[in-house]
Order: sequence, then C-alpha cells, then structure tokens
Amino acid sequence: MIPSQMLKGTLEGCILKVISHKETYGYEISEKLQEYGFTNISEGTIYPLLLRLERNGLVIVKHRESPVGPKRKYFSLSQSGREEMDCFYSNWVELENAVNALFKDGK
Amino acid sequence: MNKKTKELNRINNSLDKQVNPENQEAFTDMICYLRGANISGYHQELVRHDLTEMVLSAQQRGENLRAVIGEDYQAFCDDVIASLPPATPKQKVIDFLDIACWSLSILGAINIVISNETITLIHDLIFGSFFGNPLNCSISVSIGGVVSIGIVITAAIIIVNVITRRAFQIGKQKGNDRLKAGLVGCGLMAAFLLIARLGQTILFTINIVLACVIVLALYSAHKVLSQLA
Repeated sequence: MIPSQMLKGTLEGCILKVISHKETYGYEISEKLQEYGFTNISEGTIYPLLLRLERNGLVIVKHRESPVGPKRKYFSLSQSGREEMDCFYSNWVELENAVNALFKDGK
Repeated sequence: MNKKTKELNRINNSLDKQVNPENQEAFTDMICYLRGANISGYHQELVRHDLTEMVLSAQQRGENLRAVIGEDYQAFCDDVIASLPPATPKQKVIDFLDIACWSLSILGAINIVISNETITLIHDLIFGSFFGNPLNCSISVSIGGVVSIGIVITAAIIIVNVITRRAFQIGKQKGNDRLKAGLVGCGLMAAFLLIARLGQTILFTINIVLACVIVLALYSAHKVLSQLA
C-alpha cells in the first residue's frame, strides 16, 4: 500500500489523467485508480481533491441523471486541466529519474 | 438562505429520507459538522447534495458509508472544508445580521404577546366599551426583559456552535453529555429566575403599534438579508 503522505501531491495529477480518458464520475475514478494499483483509494479520498480541481477550474462539471435519485457529477478536463496534467507528468518524470538515478547508483 | 440555496436545501431534505438507518447517524454527524464550518450556506448544500449521492449510490451497491468515506469522518469533512472557498467577511456579517434580525423579531413578537399590557389591552378592547375604560396602548420593557433576550440569543448561538463543532463526539459519551447539558440548562434557568426577580425596573415604554412595526421591520430585514446570504 502506498503511504498517504507519498500519495499527496501525486493523486491530483493521476485523477486528471483518469478524467482525460473520458468524462467520468467520482466512484468510477476511484475504481479506475484501484485498477492501476492505487489501493485503498475510495470515493471519499478523491472527493475533496475533485472539489479542489473544480474550484481551480481544472475540470468541467456537468450534472447528469443517475439511476439512484440525485444528479451525479460528471467531470471532464478543461484546457487548463490538460496543461496542469502535462506539467504534472513532466515533473513526475523528472522526480522519477532523480530518485531512480540515486537508488541505482549503488554507492 | 437565497433562492438557489433554498431550492437545493429542499431537494436535499427529500433525498435525505432515502439514507438508510445504518448510515443515518454518521451522515447526520457529517452534515451537522459541515453546518458549523466557515463555508457559505450554498457550498454546505452543494456538499450535502454530493454526499447524499455518494451514500445512496453506495447503498445501491450494497456498501455502507464507511466503505465510501473511510474510518475518520471528521478528517474527511476537514479535507472537504479545506477544499472549498471560505465564507467572505461580507457573508459572515450578513449571516450574523440575518440571525440577529430573525431572533429579535421572534423574541420581540413573543414579548409583545405575553406582556401584561397586551393582555389588558385585549381585555379592554373586548370589554372596554361596556365599562368605558380608556385604552392603554403602551407596553413597558424592563431591564430583565432586555437582558433575557440577550442571554437567549447568545446561548442559542453558543449551543449551536458547540453542537456543530463537536458533532462527532456528542452522543458518544451519553452520560457525560447529558450531565453537561443538564448543568447548562440549570444555569440558564437560574439566570432567568434571578433576572426576573432583580430586573423588574422599567427601561422604557413603547406604543404597542410601534413595537409591532419594529418587529415587522426586523422580520423584513431578515427576509432581505437571507436573500443576500
């Protein structure tokens, strides 16, 4: 299990990536993240992050009918969200390279 | 509460009924905690709507609230609150004035209705023509009455504040909470008895029609402010 402290800061970028695939909703995002190995990511974990993404204009929200009753929130990526996702990924690659270089050095 | 918030509140109230008893307590605690947060009423209702959708969807999948939110409901609510824009100073002032006007209009109306002079006036209006009694349209406001209104409003604000901030703790240690609530109740009762005894000095008298106009003006101010909130 990935420690929550380590997840902080990376989860938002990963959520943006999931949303970039297709318009989706909270529970589906958490399921998708779990499929990719993010264990213990519930809908409740990502809800505050989705609020923050919405507040910062990185995602576009549309309410659609759901079979349960209340309208469900569907998220799609805004232009600034796409830019933020690309920026996150290049930062991640840089960090990954740095960490890998450090650990593979063998000293 | 403005029109948009009121409409969302109405929808949420009707959806709440679908939350099953297993999830109801924790769900109510979360909504109660959010009510005391430094976020606008509209955001409170938006979050409540999202949470209701999450809970009802979970129920349909055969899961409970714990599976959706996790073990720590308070930490979840704190994360949600931190993700929303805080209420602006303007919103806070409007909220405070709204509550003050509403409370004063209700307590003012109660005081007019239960005042001795009102009862005498009604009596004289009915029987005055038979006995030729002159009508006394003044009602007196005592120091005790004014202080009591202040205490009622302050105590109500404090009690609501304590309940919302401690939503996840209250009721979990039943004996302790009941004792504290009992002590607060006794303290308030003692204060009111003391005020009733010592605060009988008349502060001023006011025409009953003018008093009714003031109460109506306060209620109207509340109506206007609630649209701005």
